[in-house]
Amino acid sequence: MKLLNKARNIFLTITIAILFLMYSCGNDPIVPSDPVGKLKFEFYHLIDNSKIVFDSLIYFNEAGNKYLINEIQYFISDVEIHNDDGSSIILNEWNDIHYIDTDMESSQEYTFKEDISTGTYSAISFTFGIVDSKNESLMFVNPPHSFMFWPENLGGGYHYMKLNGKWINEDNLLAPFNFHLGRGQIYYSFPDSITDYIDNSFRINMQNVSYNIMADQTTTIVINMNMNKWFSNPNTYDHNYWGGDIMQNQEAMSHAIENGHDVFTYTLK
Amino acid sequence: MKKVIVIIFSLIILSIIGCEEKPSPTPYSPTPYNIDIPFGFPTDLNIPDDNPMTVEGIELGRFLFYDGRLSGRTHQDSLMSCATCHRQERSFEAGIDHPDFEDGHPHGISGLKTHHVMLPMINLVWNKTGYGWSGFLYPENQNVDMRNIEDMVRLAVLAKDEIDGDTTRIKNLFQSIEGYPELFGKAFGKEEVTFKNIERAIAQFIRTLISANSKFDGYMRGEVQFSPSELNGFVLFTTEEGADCFHCHGGYGNPLFTTHLFYNNGKDTIFTDPLDRYSITGNIMDHGAYKATTLRNIELQAPYMHDGRFKTLEEVIDFYAHDLNMSEQADPLMHHIIYGGNQLTASEKEDLLNFIKTLRDDEFLTRKDFAIPDKFPDQK
Repeated sequence: MKLLNKARNIFLTITIAILFLMYSCGNDPIVPSDPVGKLKFEFYHLIDNSKIVFDSLIYFNEAGNKYLINEIQYFISDVEIHNDDGSSIILNEWNDIHYIDTDMESSQEYTFKEDISTGTYSAISFTFGIVDSKNESLMFVNPPHSFMFWPENLGGGYHYMKLNGKWINEDNLLAPFNFHLGRGQIYYSFPDSITDYIDNSFRINMQNVSYNIMADQTTTIVINMNMNKWFSNPNTYDHNYWGGDIMQNQEAMSHAIENGHDVFTYTLK
Repeated sequence: MKKVIVIIFSLIILSIIGCEEKPSPTPYSPTPYNIDIPFGFPTDLNIPDDNPMTVEGIELGRFLFYDGRLSGRTHQDSLMSCATCHRQERSFEAGIDHPDFEDGHPHGISGLKTHHVMLPMINLVWNKTGYGWSGFLYPENQNVDMRNIEDMVRLAVLAKDEIDGDTTRIKNLFQSIEGYPELFGKAFGKEEVTFKNIERAIAQFIRTLISANSKFDGYMRGEVQFSPSELNGFVLFTTEEGADCFHCHGGYGNPLFTTHLFYNNGKDTIFTDPLDRYSITGNIMDHGAYKATTLRNIELQAPYMHDGRFKTLEEVIDFYAHDLNMSEQADPLMHHIIYGGNQLTASEKEDLLNFIKTLRDDEFLTRKDFAIPDKFPDQK
């Protein structure tokens, strides 16, 4: 009997050890996780609610300038989605600088890497451009991002946006404009003596539509850039007044940036 | 029974012997060549998957680049190689002082002039948007034979206004030249000379032609200072209110000194060139548009513009200051065009020129491994 008990104990010990080993060497235990989905942005560029016909001299802004758009290149960063309960998630922080280029179809859609908890979300916000603390020269060495560099003597880093086009000026001549935004400069004496630089990046907050992130699905949101909004509300931006280039004109850039608050809207696809 | 055991035993031995691997010939193992990325330069390179760079491929490519028998001919008057036009001392352009080309405009072995003047053959490993003034060789081209430097080599060899060669004759000639088959074997694993491997080898050599050690690079690395004039020129180069060169030609954040993109820079208002950017895109806004050249070593690369209309950098700077022509096709980045140009003063022009001269890389111009080899494979 004693021998039988001993044998039983040995058998139990071995069984437990085997079970323990199987458990510890196997895959991680399956723990039920919250259902998640993906979020994708598509970028549209509109004038008067229609997609831009590039290089067509058919548009008018609030100042009455007749103009065309040739190309738009810009960065957005620090995308944040806001839950109904007031909480929010910053997506892919630090690496979250997206380049959008109207000449590059592949840049006009972006699926975030993160799995996002399912639920109803009520708003989206992001930085237009790149905030100063992240906007470092040579952080992009590869094109097309590197082509956005903002010269060192003007503060360095990268353009937030290059919006290039032409308008009919007050002499009734076709004239180019480079509506370029980036780090601003404060001049002691123009153009040689700069005393300070200004972070012109700003947050865009959009709250017009609720959207759902659903389990194992990708929710696509269209981000619309409404071009004429750059030239109105609160400031009527007149190309005849500001001229063809504004990188060294903080007053012009600040007018544009004040107008920027309602440039973007989003719609569900 | 004894016989059966012997037979079985013999079969086992035979099968073991039969299964042993046969000794293979010396394996083909070229030495991979890695490009050292200079400070600030892109890490994305244009190296096709089917032509990885190797030390052996580059060595062969250098011989072929400089060997006049690339024309497929051996008579002294009929020799022509890449280096006939692409001279190291002129940053691998012909240069306006080329002994055989009037005003630096190249012609082929037959005397026929090329349609355009030359583009710089430096830092091409970073060009991903298209080779040639119109960008007609580009990686996404539906025509797989019109995509990269390899194709540029073939086209130059075949073109009537360049080498005007015959690929069969050329490969047969190099097959017969002592030393070359062995080099092809080392580079590509077989001593049979093919024209494809000629293209590949020369393209590999061309991809090594990297210029990144000018005074400007030293300035970027914090090793040297600019003179006041050079510094002012740099400021003019990189400001919209100055000369505004940087949007197309780069600077600190884009040390290639080109975007490799295509612009109508306001030279003309009537466009008749059948080989402008429009010839590739079919977009009427691309009439009169051409590749922005790199400005590295640009002082050595006259004449300037696609048609060589300017003989000096001073002429180019004057053009951008006062002589721009507005058209529907003029690129919007040419915002000074409405005033005829950027209106630089004489001293500003001098400063800008002095800055542009800081892009000259003397080390590149004299590097032995880019120069003509001391002797060719068949020379003892």
